[in-house]
Amino acid sequence: MKEYDDGALVQRTLNGDRGAFEELVVRYQRPVYNAALRLLRDPEEAKDVAQTTFLSVFEHLADYDPSYKFYSWIYRIAVNESINTLGRRKAHEDISGEEMERSPGPDRLAESEQSRAAIEAALMRITPELRSVVVLRHVMDLSYEDMAATLALPEKTVKSRLYSARQQLRSMLIHEGTS
Amino acid sequence: MVDPTLLALIHAEIDGELDDRQRAELSRGLLSDPALRALREEMQRLCRALDAVPQVEPPAQLRADIFAALPQISPRRSPATWASPKWRYAAVLAGILLTGAIVSRMMDFGQESSVNEMSGTLAARRTAVTVDMVQISDGGVSGRASLIREGAELALSLQLAANAPVDVLIASGEHFVRVNGLAAPGSPGAGSTRIALPGFGGGVGPIRLTFMRGDHQIGQAVLEEPTGH
Repeated sequence: MKEYDDGALVQRTLNGDRGAFEELVVRYQRPVYNAALRLLRDPEEAKDVAQTTFLSVFEHLADYDPSYKFYSWIYRIAVNESINTLGRRKAHEDISGEEMERSPGPDRLAESEQSRAAIEAALMRITPELRSVVVLRHVMDLSYEDMAATLALPEKTVKSRLYSARQQLRSMLIHEGTS
Repeated sequence: MVDPTLLALIHAEIDGELDDRQRAELSRGLLSDPALRALREEMQRLCRALDAVPQVEPPAQLRADIFAALPQISPRRSPATWASPKWRYAAVLAGILLTGAIVSRMMDFGQESSVNEMSGTLAARRTAVTVDMVQISDGGVSGRASLIREGAELALSLQLAANAPVDVLIASGEHFVRVNGLAAPGSPGAGSTRIALPGFGGGVGPIRLTFMRGDHQIGQAVLEEPTGH
């Protein structure tokens, strides 16, 4: 079966081929869902964000500029939707406190799993802007250039945020004795 | 205290973004500074752990949910916002015409009708097909407007968010409806609102939504049923 590139699938969708859009959904539902999940740490909200992202992509497909990478465009929508979702959460919600309570104690976790739980909890304690760059780099495996395109920020700003995020994560994990 | 330039090179090394000159500079720094070496090891460990956070499969239902929610049309360019003066003048003119039409209808029917009484009613739920949808993001109001075909009638579904009540003027050809007090949390129309549009069907052309706060227009959207529906 022939595999079309993203641009061809976009064009076919614009020509009325819904099967082409389905291929785009199949291709990107996993990264979009995982990006939202790591930004929100809530499977239900991540599913909603993924759905909204694809609906928005469909609605605005004619506005997509093919001189940019399609995945940068869709990831940007997903990141913005996730940040909007975070903004709608109640102000009093203390995510970090909740997550620490939910995490099983060290005696019930293998060391690697304990480390992963600590990292996921620490991720939720940095700002959404910093968390976005960590997710794009370490979950989506994007380059600095692609991260800059996705977030519509200068590459220099992206690097600065990424380095700052890692420093903060390192400090938190050292403080908790899990690094 | 670690030299910030060398610290940036450690990050770039981890991300595979070092060129030869930078690599040599970092190597010299690592040779001469044990604290830099320790920091590099910690950062590498942290980033390995971040890379190892597992990806999960999305819910099996996600794909079906996406397709169930897609409008039954091909994607098209979203309408322009009302940022330009030309559109603002057009909005004022439309407002005057709508007001005139309301007064005219009240006189024609000889009854004490109010604008609210002329608003659309909640549509009965029948087999409904979404024939057009637009995202609204005009600063003062955001959300989604969907045009729904229910048999011979059209209906409008509004999912709006705003920090204060929003009035919506719905106009197409000679038909219009005004719905007041939507969107604000706690208001009667907060959340999703469904509005029947009797008489709007049958090739009336674009349906224009104008969002108002008091006398000020804060946004607009255009919906249109594709021909053939």
